[in-house]
Amino acid sequence: MSNCNDNNNSFKKIIKNGLINKNPILVSGMVIAPVIVLANNFNDAVMLVAAFSLITFFTLLISSFVPKSIVYTIRIILYTLIGAVVYVPSVMLLEYLMPEGVEAIGIFFPLFITNSFIVTRSESIFFLETKGKMLLDIIFCIIGYDAAVLIFSAVREILASGTIGGKITGMPSSFRVFEHPFGGFILLGLFAALFRSILLLIKRVQK
Amino acid sequence: MLKNIILTAFTAVFAENIIFSGALGTSTLIIVSRSRKNLLGFGLSVTYITALMSVLTYFINQALSFDEKSYIYTPLVYIIILGAVYILTLLCMWRFAPEMFGRMKKYIHISAFNCAVLGSLFLISERCNTLGEYFIHGIGMGLGFVLAVYLTAIVYDRLYSEKAPYSFRGYPLLLVYIGILSMAFWGLSGYTLKF
Repeated sequence: MSNCNDNNNSFKKIIKNGLINKNPILVSGMVIAPVIVLANNFNDAVMLVAAFSLITFFTLLISSFVPKSIVYTIRIILYTLIGAVVYVPSVMLLEYLMPEGVEAIGIFFPLFITNSFIVTRSESIFFLETKGKMLLDIIFCIIGYDAAVLIFSAVREILASGTIGGKITGMPSSFRVFEHPFGGFILLGLFAALFRSILLLIKRVQK
Repeated sequence: MLKNIILTAFTAVFAENIIFSGALGTSTLIIVSRSRKNLLGFGLSVTYITALMSVLTYFINQALSFDEKSYIYTPLVYIIILGAVYILTLLCMWRFAPEMFGRMKKYIHISAFNCAVLGSLFLISERCNTLGEYFIHGIGMGLGFVLAVYLTAIVYDRLYSEKAPYSFRGYPLLLVYIGILSMAFWGLSGYTLKF
């Protein structure tokens, strides 16, 4: 019974960490380059999260089978090599489904091969856990990333041009500054601060 | 000739700074700027890898230029070559500079496998034509990354200071700071906002 409760708590913790407490975009600052540059409209953001999710999930899943007996120098090359191999079917699939989208995200698609989930976090977090927990952790980290990117891009597009997914919302905002990388940095900083404030408020209310 | 070299290098370091204009390698910058101790070594290794890889990229692109669909497997070729450069560099350091090897082995993998290095190679491939341009852009982008890391590292303690409001302390403030610097660098390249 106690073991079962421990497991439940552990799973809840993994889910909460991926989505909220250690959200890759709003808290940990992971894989933010494509968000800063490309997530200035909702349509490109959808493509971005599709590309990120495919490459990151399958690369980490396959990489988890790389034996630890291989020296780290070689393991890190193998992880990125697996990422580059996973990129091939991913780009072919997304080109078939959304050909214009692949063109829109340009060089950021292959750059997911060396994203920090794969290079810096794979060994220090994901591969330390059992396979089941690792899978759950990866999935919820990816969902946390995707959700944050989609919300961020929607708000950014509304602020920058008053549209969402290219459709006019009727909001009279046109802060063009948010279309550019510098606007992306500043807005993401404000988002991260707002997110932290909300978490703090929730904690206080719960106490 | 010299004028062109200076202009290309200036463009790569400042006007098209890899972090401030393209945000490439921002996650790596956040990790590295935490400590000023190994900043120089890290910066030099990133510059060395981008410079060497940019030259090799020129030859890779020449070899793959016959195939229209090469963009599908080009990243794989880049990673194979980057992996070879990384191993050879480690072996040379271990053999000829064991002290340096001891100091740098902890973070040399981050300096080789990150979005700044891979992104530089893709950007250089898009923008450059000659071997010389590839090389100068490679060095410039590496130095541009070093400049960005340095500018962040010098204020790191202040951004994470307890004097900063809790909601903004650390990461959020770091992003706003990079955003303001980025705006200045865009201004440097002659960009003006249209209101």
